[in-house]
Amino acid sequence: MAHITKSAAFRLGLLVFGALAALTVVEFVLALYLNIWQLLLLVAILKAGLVLYYYMHIYRLFQADTTLDHNSYAYKLATNRLGLWLFFISDSFVFGGLMIARINLLGLTHPHLEQTVGLIVTAVLLISSFFMNRAETAMAHGDRKQFAISTAITLALGILFLIGVVGVEWQIAPFGPGDGAQGAVFYSMTGFHAFHVLTGVIFLAIVLRNGLRGRYSPEKHWGVEACAIYWHFVDVVWIFYYPALYLVGTAIA
Amino acid sequence: MKTILSLGLVRGLAWEILGTALGIGFVALVRALMGLPAWKAEPAVVFGALLGALFFLYGVGILNDWLKWAAGEETEDHLDDSHLGWRRYFGPSLDHKVIGIQYLVLSLLLMSVGGLFALIFRTELARSQMQFLTLNQYNTLMSLHGMVMIISILLGISAFMNYLVPMLIGARDMAFPRLNSFSFWIAVPAGLILLSSLFLGGFDTGWTGYPPLSVRAPLGMQMFFLGVSLAGFSSILGGLNIIVTVVRLRAHSMTAFRMPIFVWAALATSVISLTATQLIGLSFQMVMLQRLFGMGFFDPAKGGNPILFQHLFWFYSHPAVYIFVLPGLGIISELLPVFVRKPLFGYRWVAMSSLGIALVGFLVWAHHMFTSGMAEYLRVPFMYSTLLVAVPTGVKFFSWVATVWRGKISFDTPMLFILAGIIVFLLGGLSGPPNATISTDLHLHDTYFIVGHFHDTMYGGYIFPFFAAIFYWYPKMTGKRLNETLGKLQFWLIAPSFTVMSLLMMRVGLLGMRRRIADYDPALGFDPYHLVMTIMAFLTALGVIVFFINLIYTHFKGQPATGNVWNSRSPEWQVPSPMPVHNYDRELEVVGEPYDYGLPGSRYVKFHGEA
Repeated sequence: MAHITKSAAFRLGLLVFGALAALTVVEFVLALYLNIWQLLLLVAILKAGLVLYYYMHIYRLFQADTTLDHNSYAYKLATNRLGLWLFFISDSFVFGGLMIARINLLGLTHPHLEQTVGLIVTAVLLISSFFMNRAETAMAHGDRKQFAISTAITLALGILFLIGVVGVEWQIAPFGPGDGAQGAVFYSMTGFHAFHVLTGVIFLAIVLRNGLRGRYSPEKHWGVEACAIYWHFVDVVWIFYYPALYLVGTAIA
Repeated sequence: MKTILSLGLVRGLAWEILGTALGIGFVALVRALMGLPAWKAEPAVVFGALLGALFFLYGVGILNDWLKWAAGEETEDHLDDSHLGWRRYFGPSLDHKVIGIQYLVLSLLLMSVGGLFALIFRTELARSQMQFLTLNQYNTLMSLHGMVMIISILLGISAFMNYLVPMLIGARDMAFPRLNSFSFWIAVPAGLILLSSLFLGGFDTGWTGYPPLSVRAPLGMQMFFLGVSLAGFSSILGGLNIIVTVVRLRAHSMTAFRMPIFVWAALATSVISLTATQLIGLSFQMVMLQRLFGMGFFDPAKGGNPILFQHLFWFYSHPAVYIFVLPGLGIISELLPVFVRKPLFGYRWVAMSSLGIALVGFLVWAHHMFTSGMAEYLRVPFMYSTLLVAVPTGVKFFSWVATVWRGKISFDTPMLFILAGIIVFLLGGLSGPPNATISTDLHLHDTYFIVGHFHDTMYGGYIFPFFAAIFYWYPKMTGKRLNETLGKLQFWLIAPSFTVMSLLMMRVGLLGMRRRIADYDPALGFDPYHLVMTIMAFLTALGVIVFFINLIYTHFKGQPATGNVWNSRSPEWQVPSPMPVHNYDRELEVVGEPYDYGLPGSRYVKFHGEA
């Protein structure tokens, strides 16, 4: 969104984050008191829609080309975007397949998990998405300092998320991967997702290093943009996985 | 020697061995540190094979540019490596034409290996009772024949999509040349890992790998799962590349409905391979996890569900057959007008029918599960959706027949293969509805009728068009034309004998011959049928040997053919063969319809600045 001022873009990012945070609270409260899965799905779709539009800029895919020169940076940028989004579509089939397995095997029950940890890691990932967006916006407006700070915070929050899931939740869960369908579903879903977070963290580290060495400019920063929308994509997956693993239905005794 | 060592392939293999050893050692070390017995074959071999594949990719050099990008360095975009000569075919070339030929060679290699497996167990089946194979050997060969052929087909269609799509749309290369090279090279360790299952105890599940049997199968099963998962990435990333290339890199004047039919077919195929392939990978990985960590996805004792595997598996594996045949059907539509000198009948309908087959193909998977004990109410909708596939496929048949009608047919080798492809695919198509209809499928399921049906669709939809395409585009690839006499000999060896074999397969299937089994009761009286089938299989194999002889003969004795050999309107034939490194030196302009053969004065393309 290069056509709006930097402060307006930062404000928009904060506003979207506020909406996402509010929806997450709504989701949690809904799960506590009503637990109608259709409502949880609706909230998740709303959250994903906000991220897809405001953080991942899906509309950029449909913008007309400003040049028809196949060798120009602008044309290649749009081509790269299409490629990355097709990768997301492909990847969604893996996550979707695991979700199908979860629905088939667990139905309206969820694994016996520590709700506090789930809420904390979800919040951590959501905040990291806010800073990721802030980093990308900063680079688009040439604010290298803000870019570096925000990317570093995103990176730290990503590692914190991994510690929360793999280091805490996996250790305190009262079941192992071999214990029933809930073990299989929980460890495979969080495992595949954590692997994507890990690759995202590596991507962030590369982008941070190259950014500090001045490899990106407000005009040419596809690396930052790719890293950002990849990070948000991983967040979108969690937006659906969190209620599926922690909230929908009743806990398995 | 120094030249040999500089080849990407050789370096890759050396790194793969190193990676495998490191992976095995790493698992042993971790187990020792955890206080477990250090040696346990399964996790060690699986992790070793996976790490070996990654090391292979590094050793080949395909990751170099990406690693440079990560380090913040710039790389050149279009590297001209034609000075390397033959050596560039053994390294990470970025040229789509080189990658296409790499795919083609690997595909032919794997096809020969898969065919050899079939010949071995076909010989075993020639008589009832077990002759020279053990039951486990039979099962392993039969299972590997299936999956090796599938991967060979995936590579074969990638060969032609890679080689042709950028050329046909007037692009210099694919949208992502490095990803393209990666997609090819990951198939090499995938194939090696898959074949290594032969030496690691084999496996006995057939190519479908259904649990619970696949959970108990020997270690070879894991190599099968891992090999297929890696080959899946080749297919997924290749599909992604094709879609982006077609959408973004067409010549400016090439509107959607002036694209060659093959490009439409490649697009439709790629949509399936981009999305559905992930699910066969996932279903296989879930069984791998179940074997490695005891995760009970498909174990009813742990609350799992074996039927879930079949849903995930067939969600890819049915559309997969459309991945196999759509490019072949595209080649039929592409070549037919050239050899009958008439416009392709109903261009728009044919273009849309490819997408139609692809989309309907996503909704039919459970017709493989009519006897599996899935929910009753799912059967009828899947029956109707399956029968619906006949509609877009029928569109193609009507178009072909109407195109051939009153044409000036010339019977060159490619045309012979095209005609055989149409006829055999019709046999395969007509034997499909009995399997789609629940009442008859309950009888036919798991019989040789299915085997005959399936091989007819594969030969008609892939093998025959594939050979047609090789004969047709060989002058473009090499500047020499394959020998016609040997080509016709090959055709007359393969086409009739294969047809007889597949019809006999259906015959014994209807009489009650089960598929996948190593032996049958002599009292059933199938011995003579099986003997004839085996002879026919050997004749088919002889035809393939004639093809390889033809390749060698043409290499040494072939006449140069650098011009428009087939008098085609297509852009790639308007420039000399073999194709120049950057395809077209001037921009391509589309000035007419692609298939207006026989209409005087009409043109499809011209080059910028040309009159």
